[in-house]
Amino acid sequence: MISLIKAAVGGLTVISRTHGLQQAPLHSYLKICAAGLKTFPVIPDYSNVVLPEKPKLKFLNKVPNLKKAKKERKKLRDIQGPARAANTFTCGQYAIVAMGGGYLHWGHLEMIRLTINRKIDAHTTFARWRINAPYKPITRKGLGQRMGGGKGAIDHYVTPVRYGRLIVELGGKVELGEIEHVLTEVAKKLPFPAKVMSRESLEEMHRKQKEMEENNQNPWTFKQIAQGNMMGIRKVLSPFDLRNNGRFTGKFHFPGRV
Amino acid sequence: MSATLCVKLQRNQGWLPLIQSVRHGSKAVTRHKKPVHILKQKLIAVTQYIPPARTVPPGAYPSEEKHVQEDNEFVLLLKKNLEEVFEECKMIAVVQTNACSVDDMLMLRHRLCKHSIKIRFFPNQVMRSFLSNSVYSNMAPLFIGPTVLFVSKEPKVKEMMSALRVSPQMTLLGACIDNTLLSSQGVVSYAKLPSLTVVQGELVSGLTMLTSRTAFMLQRHPAHLSALLQQYIKQQSPDDGAEATPKAEEAS
Repeated sequence: MISLIKAAVGGLTVISRTHGLQQAPLHSYLKICAAGLKTFPVIPDYSNVVLPEKPKLKFLNKVPNLKKAKKERKKLRDIQGPARAANTFTCGQYAIVAMGGGYLHWGHLEMIRLTINRKIDAHTTFARWRINAPYKPITRKGLGQRMGGGKGAIDHYVTPVRYGRLIVELGGKVELGEIEHVLTEVAKKLPFPAKVMSRESLEEMHRKQKEMEENNQNPWTFKQIAQGNMMGIRKVLSPFDLRNNGRFTGKFHFPGRV
Repeated sequence: MSATLCVKLQRNQGWLPLIQSVRHGSKAVTRHKKPVHILKQKLIAVTQYIPPARTVPPGAYPSEEKHVQEDNEFVLLLKKNLEEVFEECKMIAVVQTNACSVDDMLMLRHRLCKHSIKIRFFPNQVMRSFLSNSVYSNMAPLFIGPTVLFVSKEPKVKEMMSALRVSPQMTLLGACIDNTLLSSQGVVSYAKLPSLTVVQGELVSGLTMLTSRTAFMLQRHPAHLSALLQQYIKQQSPDDGAEATPKAEEAS
């Protein structure tokens, strides 16, 4: 189609050129106006996209269905460092990726679910949870209660999220531009820095990080110094730092470090 | 705080710090970043990422090896034409056309055509590639920007200058006249010279005048001739030779 139009336009210009030459050999400065001609980008191919039966986000329980609810310790480790699960795409194309650690409440999950289910077109798009329903119990002492008397009762449940974890995954016969505003709107409201990423941009981020590690011109690396315990630096480093090479402090991520 | 009390009691025991920090156990803070230990801060500062030196993007500099461009048929034809022009024409002037409209060019062409001076257009690239291989290679710096050639088989510089005076948008850059490269000033002074026949006539008349003068002298009275010779001898004497010369000329 496009080639046909191009051929037609080319033929036109040739004709006009020869015509101009015949009429005025001296005034052979002929301007060809190409206004109104436009080459459209190729439409993406969605032939191999299969939409699931239930394209919308599932409702997540506020409280897990346990026989005996047990109080747990704080266990801050579950939001520290990089995510070890659900850090790559499975079936979708676009996702909200956590850029730091944090706890998601049931309210957050409801906000995500309602916003996305309302704004996406279920005929072309599907959405999938990449996190579990709240499972970590948080205890609180009752209002006006004196200190002491043991640990408080379970108040609510949360979902811990680490850096690099996908929260929600979207896919289907859509481009990023169509759903980006919905996802950014959701990502802004999360209790940790979050980013909207596509499959390609996430891969690009991983590739960039790897490239930085390979092409680092600094002869002194965190790993080398920490493992060698140079000048007794291990005194101030934790096993957590040894594992992550100083890229994290607690749930926070230092961008631009290797 | 409790240490301050102890200081009074144990004054002679030695120095103790007045304020001692008390540790309260580690707090599980997740809201903000914990203050980083100074040694760890230093370690993080030392092990910053240093990117590699920026590589030169491809195409930023011209390639080292010179790519030899194949001349197409049209360029070859133009070169052949140029060769003919340089062989046939005695006057080749290089003129820059600054915003010269087609009408002006037509008028100029018409005016020059009266004196059988032609205007030839050649692309600068073709011109330079031709000049680099020929004996006229010193003309190459003239071909910058929009330039045209005024060519004629006879060196009609005067006529060309008068035509150029009318059209100020044409600037004369230089010319090759009779296989001599001239600057624009040189061309102007060349145009002021009288024509070859006039100069030849002057020369002939000068030469004939000397002989006619000698014959005239010999035909005069011998007494006049002897007087003149005497005066000439007097002038040759070293006393007043320098002063007498102009007088002798006047006398002759």
